[in-house]
Amino acid sequence: MWSDPPRTALDAFCFFACTDTGLRRLAELLDDPANDTKPYGELSAIAAKHQTDEYLRPRLTDAALAATPLDPLQDPGYLYCEPWGFARQAFAPHQLEVKQYGDHVELHYGEWDAHRIVHLGERAPQDRPHTPLGYSVGHYDGDTLVVETSLITANAGPTRIFEEIRHSDQLTAVERYRRPAPERLELTATLIDPVTYREPIELKKVWKLAPDQQIAPYDSCEPAAAEPSQRKTQ
Amino acid sequence: MKPKRLFSLAGALVAAAALAPAGAHHSFAAVFDGSKTVTLDGTIKEFKFVNPHALATVDVADDKGTVQQWTVEFDGRLNLTNFGWTDATIRPGEHVKISGNPERTGAPRIFFSKIVRADGTEVVRGGDRLNAIEEDRRLRAAQRAASPPAK
Repeated sequence: MWSDPPRTALDAFCFFACTDTGLRRLAELLDDPANDTKPYGELSAIAAKHQTDEYLRPRLTDAALAATPLDPLQDPGYLYCEPWGFARQAFAPHQLEVKQYGDHVELHYGEWDAHRIVHLGERAPQDRPHTPLGYSVGHYDGDTLVVETSLITANAGPTRIFEEIRHSDQLTAVERYRRPAPERLELTATLIDPVTYREPIELKKVWKLAPDQQIAPYDSCEPAAAEPSQRKTQ
Repeated sequence: MKPKRLFSLAGALVAAAALAPAGAHHSFAAVFDGSKTVTLDGTIKEFKFVNPHALATVDVADDKGTVQQWTVEFDGRLNLTNFGWTDATIRPGEHVKISGNPERTGAPRIFFSKIVRADGTEVVRGGDRLNAIEEDRRLRAAQRAASPPAK
């Protein structure tokens, strides 16, 4: 079982997802003695804005920029307790359980208690319907698990990093999971969607080994849509 | 009714006709106002250690003894587990001062940030994690000071 990132300033920045651009900016800020007395939250917010402005936003197509951003209060996850799609689930925080079998790998997430199956040794199918989590095929490249996912329905973007920007049903992804140390699991994911991104975007994430944790039932989500007329924002 | 708060809400908040759904999975900023903090002085009635968000109900009495029930929303069980919480971390019947960010609608509901127990001990949201990160920063600064960049 894996869970939240190692408790270091740089790893914590990748609690959801991060980019090399953001990590480099945060490292610069952390290495500047003038920032030693500033709270971590202030520095990580600067780095997050930098990665949005310098890496993510320039890679959005005009169509993606022009699209109406996802209103959190109209999020199907909030309104209807609809589980997340691939782009949010793959970078979900907290627990991730990886179970390896002969012909497949199961990825079990604490968030939404969601399951993904990675079919080993298969080629990506062409004739299946699109689904929220898509269809994943994988293989090992040395010690790295490489997962290619396609047939993903259009949905919200990656958690907390581009969630408000929807991706299209042309999204495909290549995830590379590696374990550089016994207690550390790293993900580098390349997202490709010509409708949304001018060029592939690369996101990273890290988990720490958490052998004592368990995934708890995700059974208390009450849909906000039950009483939308009673919600009134300022 | 005016609940007994240690700090009042700044500005007029519109009271919602009913409590928002107890456990919808949501973006924090869309539902709660992170710029404001409310502190409730009351008694824990119930604590549900569940996903997607743990919940507590707190009975808060005003100066006349009239009780209003507030809902306190927490991170989910999946996150609180990482903080070392269990279903016994907050106990029904416990008298507490509990702080959090108010819901934007003005409903009697906050998102947890800190609890102060009757014996004065505090539990702060993410406290251990933030302390560990700050310790990492101190180590990083110490290493930097020990080996300044070559000129």
